[in-house]
Amino acid sequence: MKNFYDFKVDNIKGLSAQEKKFRNRELDLFSKKGFPNKREEAWKFTDLNTILSKNFAYITNNYISLKEKKFELIEEFDHNYLFVIDGKLVSNEFKFEDKNKFLIKEYDYKKKISVSNQNSLNFLNNALATGGYFLEVSKNYKFKKPLVVYNHFSKNIKEQIISYKNSLILNENSELTILNYTDTNSRNNFFVNSFDYLKLKKDSNLKNIFINKERCNCYFHHYLKSNLEQNTNLDNYILSSGFKFNKFDIEINLNEEQAKSSIFSALSLSSEEHQEIKSSINHNFKNCQSYQKIKNVLNDQSRGVYQGKIFVKQKAQKTDAYQLSKALLLNDNVEFDAKPELEIYADDVKCSHGSTSGSIDLNSIHYLKSRGIPEKEAYKILISGFLSEILEKLPKDNLKKFLIEKMGRQINGY
Amino acid sequence: MKTEDLKNNKDYKYGFTTDVENIRSPKGLSEETIKFISNIKNEPKWMLEWRLKAFNRLKVLKEPDWQKPKYPKIDYQNLYYYSAPKSSSEKPKSLDEIDPKILETYKKLGIPLVEQQRLNGIAVDAVFDSVSVATTFKDELTKKGIIFCSISEAIQKHPDLVKKYLGSVIPLSDHYFATLNSAVFTDGSFVYIPPNTKCPMELSTYFRINASETGQFERTLIIADKGSYVSYLEGCTAPMRDENQLHAANVELVALDDAEIKYSTVQNWYPGDENGVGGIYNFVTKRGACRGNNSKISWTQVETGSAITWKYPSCILQGDNSVGEFYSIAITNNHQKADTGTKMIHLGKNTKSKIISKGISAGKADNMYRGLVEIKNKASNSRNYTQCDSLLMGNKCGAHTIPYIKNNNSTSTIEHEATTTKINEEQLYYCNQRGLDQEEAVSLIVNGFCKEVLQQLPMEFAVEAQKLVAISLEGSVG
Repeated sequence: MKNFYDFKVDNIKGLSAQEKKFRNRELDLFSKKGFPNKREEAWKFTDLNTILSKNFAYITNNYISLKEKKFELIEEFDHNYLFVIDGKLVSNEFKFEDKNKFLIKEYDYKKKISVSNQNSLNFLNNALATGGYFLEVSKNYKFKKPLVVYNHFSKNIKEQIISYKNSLILNENSELTILNYTDTNSRNNFFVNSFDYLKLKKDSNLKNIFINKERCNCYFHHYLKSNLEQNTNLDNYILSSGFKFNKFDIEINLNEEQAKSSIFSALSLSSEEHQEIKSSINHNFKNCQSYQKIKNVLNDQSRGVYQGKIFVKQKAQKTDAYQLSKALLLNDNVEFDAKPELEIYADDVKCSHGSTSGSIDLNSIHYLKSRGIPEKEAYKILISGFLSEILEKLPKDNLKKFLIEKMGRQINGY
Repeated sequence: MKTEDLKNNKDYKYGFTTDVENIRSPKGLSEETIKFISNIKNEPKWMLEWRLKAFNRLKVLKEPDWQKPKYPKIDYQNLYYYSAPKSSSEKPKSLDEIDPKILETYKKLGIPLVEQQRLNGIAVDAVFDSVSVATTFKDELTKKGIIFCSISEAIQKHPDLVKKYLGSVIPLSDHYFATLNSAVFTDGSFVYIPPNTKCPMELSTYFRINASETGQFERTLIIADKGSYVSYLEGCTAPMRDENQLHAANVELVALDDAEIKYSTVQNWYPGDENGVGGIYNFVTKRGACRGNNSKISWTQVETGSAITWKYPSCILQGDNSVGEFYSIAITNNHQKADTGTKMIHLGKNTKSKIISKGISAGKADNMYRGLVEIKNKASNSRNYTQCDSLLMGNKCGAHTIPYIKNNNSTSTIEHEATTTKINEEQLYYCNQRGLDQEEAVSLIVNGFCKEVLQQLPMEFAVEAQKLVAISLEGSVG
């Protein structure tokens, strides 16, 4: 096969000799394996190598970001924000918060974070990542307003890979809601390979939401690693319809008692979108809970994949773990693949999963039509009912209103 | 293993060996071995060519390594690929002529070949080691036009049928163990049910692995022609062995229009001792093709034996309105490992499949359900329902579920449910209170847990299976 990529550590400016050595070694590890393909179990349903080679002529990591200063602020609700261009933190504003209660800076590449499942994209990220942010919330501080991360990609990106790492630490008894809001002015194909590290210390609480502003030609791989201490709560909301390709690799480690995590996802996919959520929830300690609810609506030639794994260690007794994936298939050109996996070594546990996929209930369509609602409208009503259930747990505020409105637009195809 | 040792070891009810002199093929896997097998069976040329084709393919195939149960590397050159009881060079014509020692073995196993057959209405094609020794009730079946014989006999007498269907469900180049079987299979059963015939009795076969160091390679081919019905039972118990033995069988089922095949298995091979020493490697390929419209294939299995079980009885639902079913109980204790499940591939319209899997693990065992449900885009209005439940006894064992679900059709529905729990303590307490001891209570609860599958078994098996469930879990709670 033709080689459709060329990555060089030398394209990154200002590296020390030691760093260069490390990055080159990681790049070698990547080069040995190349982009993952379906021979790897974790990529069975998503042959990234084929997808990229079909859609890209030549990917490089050689790019210069434009200094785009203008961006549209979300007006629907009050928020703090970080403005990030091509992975680099450009500006921030925390006008609703106490300035002494948090720390924001650029990501420090000297700190290494190990990942339990090393796929070649992690190596590639280690080799090429630049930019990214580091945010730490102080003890006992609860954010008053949500934080929006404007994750912007500049106009001139074309056939390039963007790699970065972010890190977020919540100290004891702190609280934060973060909205990752992706958009771009680029009409070209580009690939993003990001790594997020979340650490939740005792009694902290994080809501982590992902949504897009608009449809874009972006190919996204998102690795999300989180470590949870005692009595913490992590809720992930994945509403990121609109990418050409998107894979969330979510690793959640429940390391101490009463740690709770959840993944909620509502995706409405159309055209040739391909989205995958792969989770591995590791119950490493007793009395932890995890919950996953994944909903997909598939239209046109789209493809949805869910690979969820619950791993329960021998000592993780009294685990309560649940997985549910549901998919609506709107025509015969779409495909939904699921692999809800349980690997359990403790006996006093409650673990279950369910998975369904099928068509929309024609009786319900008939019911709505008989009440004078046109067929197209009836479909929309049922789809939005199917998806919006995901947001049930969010508090009723302007943020939720904003998300519901966005989801409505996604259903209508932006 | 010496006979005295065996007598002392009472844990495994069926652990005994019969002294029958064996004819063996040359040791190791080679073209000579294959020619030897083909020659001793007096096979036509096309069969030898078929075997050699498989052998050539085998040279480029690699042993699969994705499965969870890992096993020590098998030395294929250190196995005998053919061993037959010597007395078979002159095939017995009636039961009286059969080596009395073999008959005794069956008696110990509880298959009364002589009288109880008629009462039970079962025709047994008994496979002792690799050669089919006795076939009873042949006349009754022949009258209906049913062919039930060993596959070697079928190759001689019904070459057209064998040529047409052998390898049509499990192709020569399928995967390592299936291909190995194609190259060196020694014997097995062949069933052909003519159009519009309902087989009057449950057909049954018994496999035993007897001679030490012999991997047994069985080949079973069942063809149900248009509008026919057959129920086939396969039961397995093996004598105790110290070293690991490989068993790589292939089972192919073909159901044509409106035909139905019901295939039931009780597998109780030597699982190794409490420390995980010895035991059978059971790497079996079972696949059925619902080729005709309105056809149906139903697999039922109770897996309690073998050190490592690794099999996925599958259905390819090609015909419109065809139905595939899979009912399974897998029990693992001590160091046993089971990686089992099914594949349901929906190709035809209005196809239905149902999977009920119950896994029970105790001791230090690992029990895994691994299955695939795939609905292709032409299979409109298809439906699958899957339920897999796991029961854990003790905190040193593992229960795993890996379903693969692929839906490519908007009018089809797939439903999948799975749970993992331990035995309900309240239920145990309730049973104890009413005077049942711990083991009786566990057996009762587990049998209840497996009820949906046990119900699917034919009468003859249901009783044995219930006993097996209880025996397999002895000593696992307490």
